Amino acid sequence: MSDNFDLASHYPWLPSSLIKYYSNLPDDPKEFISEIFSSTISEEISERTFEIFKAAFNNLENVVYYKLDKLNVYMYLLIKILLIVLNDKLLTNRVANLYSKINYYDLLEENDYNIYHICNEELNLNVQYLPEGEVYGNKSYENNQQQVITNFKIFFIDYLNLVANLRDEYRKLINNPLSNGFVFLKKKTLIRLLQEYVRNKIKEVEIKEITKKDDLLNIKGFRELLEKISAAWKNRKDEIEYYEFDGTEDASFYPPCIQEIRSKAKEGQNLIHTERLLILWFLLALNVPIEDIVKFFSTMPDFDQEKTTYQVNFAKRKGYKVYLCETLKSLDLCRANKDKEKICTEGYYSKTQEAQRKISSPLQYVHVRQHRNRRESKNKSNINN
Amino acid sequence: MSDIDYLKRLFQDYYRKKTNQIPPIDSLNQREFGFIPWDDIIIMNRHISFVNYEAFKNYLSKFSPRHIYSSGALYNNPDHTDMNKKGYLGCDFLIDIDVDHFYTPCKKDHDLWYCKKCGKNGIGMAPNKCPKCENSQFKSLSWICEKCLSLAKNEIFKLIEDFLLPDFKINKEELKVVFSGHRGYHLKIENEKIRNLSGAERREIVDYLTGENISYEILGLNDLNSNLYFLEDNYGWTKKIINKIKKNIHDYPNDVLKDILSDFGLNREIIEYILNDKNNFLKNLWKIKGLGEKTWVNFLKNITKNLGAKIDVPVSIDIHRLIRYPGSLHGSTGFRVQELSLSELETFKPLNEINQEIDPIVFAEKKDVKIKIEILENKVPSIKIKGKTYGPYNKGTIEIIPLHVAVFLLCKGVAKTRSFIDD
Ligand code: SF4
Ligand SMILES: [Zn+2]
Ligand SMILES: [Zn+2]
Repeated sequence: MSDNFDLASHYPWLPSSLIKYYSNLPDDPKEFISEIFSSTISEEISERTFEIFKAAFNNLENVVYYKLDKLNVYMYLLIKILLIVLNDKLLTNRVANLYSKINYYDLLEENDYNIYHICNEELNLNVQYLPEGEVYGNKSYENNQQQVITNFKIFFIDYLNLVANLRDEYRKLINNPLSNGFVFLKKKTLIRLLQEYVRNKIKEVEIKEITKKDDLLNIKGFRELLEKISAAWKNRKDEIEYYEFDGTEDASFYPPCIQEIRSKAKEGQNLIHTERLLILWFLLALNVPIEDIVKFFSTMPDFDQEKTTYQVNFAKRKGYKVYLCETLKSLDLCRANKDKEKICTEGYYSKTQEAQRKISSPLQYVHVRQHRNRRESKNKSNINN
Repeated sequence: MSDIDYLKRLFQDYYRKKTNQIPPIDSLNQREFGFIPWDDIIIMNRHISFVNYEAFKNYLSKFSPRHIYSSGALYNNPDHTDMNKKGYLGCDFLIDIDVDHFYTPCKKDHDLWYCKKCGKNGIGMAPNKCPKCENSQFKSLSWICEKCLSLAKNEIFKLIEDFLLPDFKINKEELKVVFSGHRGYHLKIENEKIRNLSGAERREIVDYLTGENISYEILGLNDLNSNLYFLEDNYGWTKKIINKIKKNIHDYPNDVLKDILSDFGLNREIIEYILNDKNNFLKNLWKIKGLGEKTWVNFLKNITKNLGAKIDVPVSIDIHRLIRYPGSLHGSTGFRVQELSLSELETFKPLNEINQEIDPIVFAEKKDVKIKIEILENKVPSIKIKGKTYGPYNKGTIEIIPLHVAVFLLCKGVAKTRSFIDD
């Protein structure tokens, strides 16, 4: 637990931390980097940073060698710069996941006041502290009643901002206690939302774009660290390399809603529940082999090979049907209008029915594309003859 | 003079003489405007903007378009034709409640549909597929009616009193309500913070307002083994659902209740049990023979649907929507898009309003003007305006009617004018 004055060094992503330690940070990170790597901390910071990256490659939840000291603050900036130079989305997401998780565990140790302070004073969130606690309902176990009580509530708009990328069922506004403009939540849940904030923060490029990458690479210590990370990442990446559907199915025939999920997965972004179901049922319907579907999910931050294999097999046995476009529209997963995809927006001409028909499901989209493709290649071969 | 020219002249007259009744909206110069002119082909001219309120009013008196819209969004360059270059600054939260989008029992008395392919017709809301030829395109005649409009008004009050005020604590002053001029109401929330919400964040609010995507599992409502009365104090939707069940059970006499419960998917045996144990059944669901989780969840879904507000979802999510401008005339009825304060709304009667200030039937002012019209459609339902019923009519009917009724029928495109000299 840290007292109020330490917060800034413990949590380098806090706005006041940056002011305190970097008030004279030059626009070009070169100066900062060369200072670090010519100082006595050079070795230690390199080692600790590499630990973080290594753990991130392996999707670990925590790092043993992590200390809340001043060096931690420098390390935060160094990590951000490294991520910008490496420019690999999958890697960035993994580091962001890990880093935010480490911070989550540390925040759990903070007292109520510090959490309140971080939310309101630092992050400008409208969080209210209820010293006496407020009962916002009951839980019912068999025939026993237990009050649910909390010291925290958060303004619904701030809540929506924080959960924007989470969007799992538990975070949905409708499934939460909302009253008088505030969502009541447990301290732990609030901290979980702060974790989201950290995750996004590390991905954010606030340091002025690094235009002279070469300048940085001329700094010996930095270059060495960068090369070490790159090499280790390359090895690891080959193992988890995202599965490209290069078998019988051509992924370029997939509709926009599916493409969107594929590119998210490719970048190691978390998928919400409905996105996972959609892609799972879709790939199953196209008879993509189970192992390949499991590989698809391997980029997820919470990937667990055994669990996923079980779930995919289970879904296959059950034989679920792919979502219809109509459902996807109501779930806000349809991309037809955003991507202005013609087959999606205008439909296709059905010869048998002599009418323009709308497509009803992502599968049908694939069929229309395949059909067109066959027709085109047939036409081509006609010309050749 | 053609009927279209005639209508246009009437509209123009309104826009010239009543400009003071067209209120300026907040940040008018940053809004995008859209107009549908009096042409045969209906195309909206979008991406129009005005430097100020005066310029907008001048435009109206000069061109007097048939339909007038403005954006919920604010832009740096509202007239840029490329959406990405408009410089989006934020968008008011828009809510559209329109009986077109939900079931009302009286539609079978006044709405008609025709299959575009085989010509089959029917009453009420158009089906998804034509029962005769399976085609899915219809021409429909959706009529305006007091009962429908009062149901739409209930939905607005439900929205405000059950959701926006108690749960979201929206400031009453930030709520702008208008009668749409046709079959519903629009509500706009003008709040700085809400303006910045993304589409996905708006979706979360919409789900909350409609009850869509609720999880009974997370809320603990699907657990037949536990005492659900314990959950009645839980903030948010849980409380709404438990209270609704309790209220229904206590408010309705048994014979009505039987019908309601069976409409909600419960069978006779289950209903019997509930009626015999009115004050206790929610803690003893597991005792009810034949009540499985599936049936119970289905019942909860019906309760949820009943509690949720019936809003037109895409309107609230799409940040680039245009919405009818308050004070303008609706080109399919000739009625004014009428701004209303919440207290005015309570007693407001769109088709028979006595307070002239907020009377949407603006052409009723000219009481003595009568018009001779001829009906063009096979069947035209009746309409009750200003306490008097006109119609139903059949094709070819010729009648002399007051100006405001004639404007309505002409705007609807179901009649044409006949000059007196004709006969
Ligand atoms: S129209 Fe259907 S297939 Fe196309 S993007 Fe939307 S949901 Fe996907
Ligand atoms: Zn038909
Ligand atoms: Zn009606």
